Amino acid sequence: MKAYHPIRKALLALTITAALASSVSFAAVTDQDIANDPGTTNDVVSYGLGLQGQRFSPLTKLNTDTVKNLVPAYVLSYGDEKQRGQEAQPLIHNGKIFVTASYSRAFAVDAKTGEELWQYDHRLPDGILPCCDVVNRGGALYENLFIFSTLDAQLVALDQDTGKVVWKEKMEDYKAGYSNTAAPIVVKGLVITGVSGGEFGVVGKVEARDAKTGKLVWSRPTVEGHMGTLNGQDNGITGEVNKSWPGDLWKTGGAATWLGGTYDFETDSLFFGTGNPSPWNSHLRPGDNLYSSSLLAINPADGKIRWHYQWTPHDGWDFDGVNEFISFDLKQADGKVIKAGAHADRNGFFYVLDRTNGKLISASPFVNKITWAEKIDLATGRPVYIDANRPGKNTDTGKGESVFAAPSFLGGKNWMPMAYSPTTDLFYVPANEWGMDIWNEPISYKKGAAYLGAGFTIRPLNEDYIGALRAIDPKTGKIVWEAKNKAPLWGGVLTTAGNLVFTGTPEGYLKAFNAQTGEEVWKFQTGSGVVGCPVTWEQDGEQFVAVPSGWGGAVPLWGGEVAKSIKNLNQGGSLWVFKLPNTATVAAKQ
Amino acid sequence: MRRAAILCLALLSPVGWANPPDPFNSPQWDFVHQRFLKAEPYQFDGKVKVEAPPEAEDSLNVPIAFQVEGLEQVQEVVVVADLNPIQQVLRFRPKAMRPHLAFRMKLQQGSPIHVAAKTPDGIWHVGGVWVNAAGGGCTLPSVGTSSGDWTKTLGKVSGNVWQRPDGSNRLRVRVMHPMDTGLASGIPTFHIENLNVLGADGQVLAELDLFEPISENPMLSFDVANQSQFKLEGRDNNGNRIQAEVSP
Repeated sequence: MKAYHPIRKALLALTITAALASSVSFAAVTDQDIANDPGTTNDVVSYGLGLQGQRFSPLTKLNTDTVKNLVPAYVLSYGDEKQRGQEAQPLIHNGKIFVTASYSRAFAVDAKTGEELWQYDHRLPDGILPCCDVVNRGGALYENLFIFSTLDAQLVALDQDTGKVVWKEKMEDYKAGYSNTAAPIVVKGLVITGVSGGEFGVVGKVEARDAKTGKLVWSRPTVEGHMGTLNGQDNGITGEVNKSWPGDLWKTGGAATWLGGTYDFETDSLFFGTGNPSPWNSHLRPGDNLYSSSLLAINPADGKIRWHYQWTPHDGWDFDGVNEFISFDLKQADGKVIKAGAHADRNGFFYVLDRTNGKLISASPFVNKITWAEKIDLATGRPVYIDANRPGKNTDTGKGESVFAAPSFLGGKNWMPMAYSPTTDLFYVPANEWGMDIWNEPISYKKGAAYLGAGFTIRPLNEDYIGALRAIDPKTGKIVWEAKNKAPLWGGVLTTAGNLVFTGTPEGYLKAFNAQTGEEVWKFQTGSGVVGCPVTWEQDGEQFVAVPSGWGGAVPLWGGEVAKSIKNLNQGGSLWVFKLPNTATVAAKQ
Repeated sequence: MRRAAILCLALLSPVGWANPPDPFNSPQWDFVHQRFLKAEPYQFDGKVKVEAPPEAEDSLNVPIAFQVEGLEQVQEVVVVADLNPIQQVLRFRPKAMRPHLAFRMKLQQGSPIHVAAKTPDGIWHVGGVWVNAAGGGCTLPSVGTSSGDWTKTLGKVSGNVWQRPDGSNRLRVRVMHPMDTGLASGIPTFHIENLNVLGADGQVLAELDLFEPISENPMLSFDVANQSQFKLEGRDNNGNRIQAEVSP
């Protein structure tokens, strides 16, 4: 007996230590977990399913053969009278699903049962100024934190287990028009964010904070002339004062980084897109208006700009350049691989750049009608404008000549992230075909007031459809297939090694397509428009898919004549989770 | 043998401690004891004095004051309104001040207000008072939220220090905050979570956890011996910080 006891005690001690060690390492999200995210199939710990933003999962259980057996597992209602657009991408970690919702709310759900674990409702002031619906696009995970930004321009870090606030930092003054709706990303322990507010004459910026404490490390304004900071010290002016802006207009120059950004481990660069220059009326601000409607490659260590590429110099159509820049390997015919990145701009062109230096490789239209430029000149990297299609200069008292421009300011593609499959070597772009009448008006800056100097109405280009999910070959810029949709597409895309592409429709469907042919292979009606971002993961040997449902976003607010195709769509607010039951996988094999 | 004895004691202790009945005959007392006093031993004790009006004139602002006299080294004081939809009102840990506190709270209906003070021997000494109330205090939106004015004043502190007749000082502070309970339709929970009173030298004099039933723009009075310079540090459940200095 006496000899037996110590051994048992020792064994017990060993078991406890092991249990503690494994639970700790399992629970805390590390930089390594984030770096490995694209390859790990049992979690989704970053926006974009990996910081490059490819939105590709290597899972194959769910494929074109088995997808017919994909069934709902559970659904969580966000509740409340606050519905509106649900544009978030869920994150999956440690048996929990984390998702944000309209009005700056966050939820944690038991990934097995769908039961809510906690809910955080951020208190919003009455005076918030979101331009384009009260959405939120998701959070970031780091250590034991879930970090997301709010409509009153705050960054909040919640405890993953309790939903309690661990730290909170003010990003900017919401009364001046700042807000934030994008998902932050975490790079080497720094949480990186942008700001929204380009319709209110704010100054865009990219900022890095210590993800554990929220303490600001660096800040990089995106309009030339403004001073950056690093650890509280001046860190150089962005660009050169007045090089591409007249007078004082750069002080309210816009270029909001409202969609956040991606990060590439191979080149160690952050890629942040910038929004329209303020005001919209381009005649008030001759010049390129750097760095508006551009892509910035930023060093994550100090916030210095490595290179930039301007999609729309001297933007006069509200063609924000914020859309995601996805790093990928461009495989050439001779077998050479170029470290490239791709971006589908609001202005209608699909760009491929060398992501080591920002040099333009190709720019191809991904929508059927582009009126503002003939093409993008590959030699200069600049658009060849059609001057007659820039809205005319206003008079001192009245509006200028109206022009019909395509795409509309809601863009050939808006915020909804595309996906890239290394299996098919194709990009899957949620495109929209629409144009606008646009004219300029006099405007002067007033803090907290809309700063456009332009008027507009959006019009569909075709009777039968606005949306079109398009597969684009980045080697040729050619559209390989398309799947049309009556209402404009407004949801993110997911692709998998199971030869599938998922995206949602405002009509309420989550749909799956054959990634090679575009054939629709599955759909499910969620009860409200799907404008969120689907994700997939594996849990207890079964493959899951989750997507928020809830119609809203910019289209119903700004959509003009588009209203015809969306007026019967109802609001909602829920997280739908689907799974491919194990029995179904077996059945499909037989 | 010794192990067995400890085991027996551990098993028997809940039975060994007879739970004295609540003088107010509160139907919730057993639950309150389990949940907020963690089922630890307690006794009703006249040394814990609680003052409140017998009838709440304003259910949104019911003044409560407690004093614990004749108990040494009070570790923590817990205030619970048994019949409120949110029962826990505050937790107060006096580090270097007397276990006295005055505050205002919201009452949803007539309820016992139990005040329990824990001494180093692990025993809760419980006092209380019954307050009648017309009701509705917890399910109304705060004035600040209804008017939309709360953002202008959020976290602002006003305060003063007075000398009392016995020569000791009293500190009174008011912190502007809607203290929304989350029970009014469409208004999420929004309240101060903690508030620490520090001396001018940074020494923590008392820690306070505040919960939803504390009245809007909490007004708190402390008996602070002879110190006269204070710092106030705290946070609400949204992570908004409270920081202030108070001097006479």
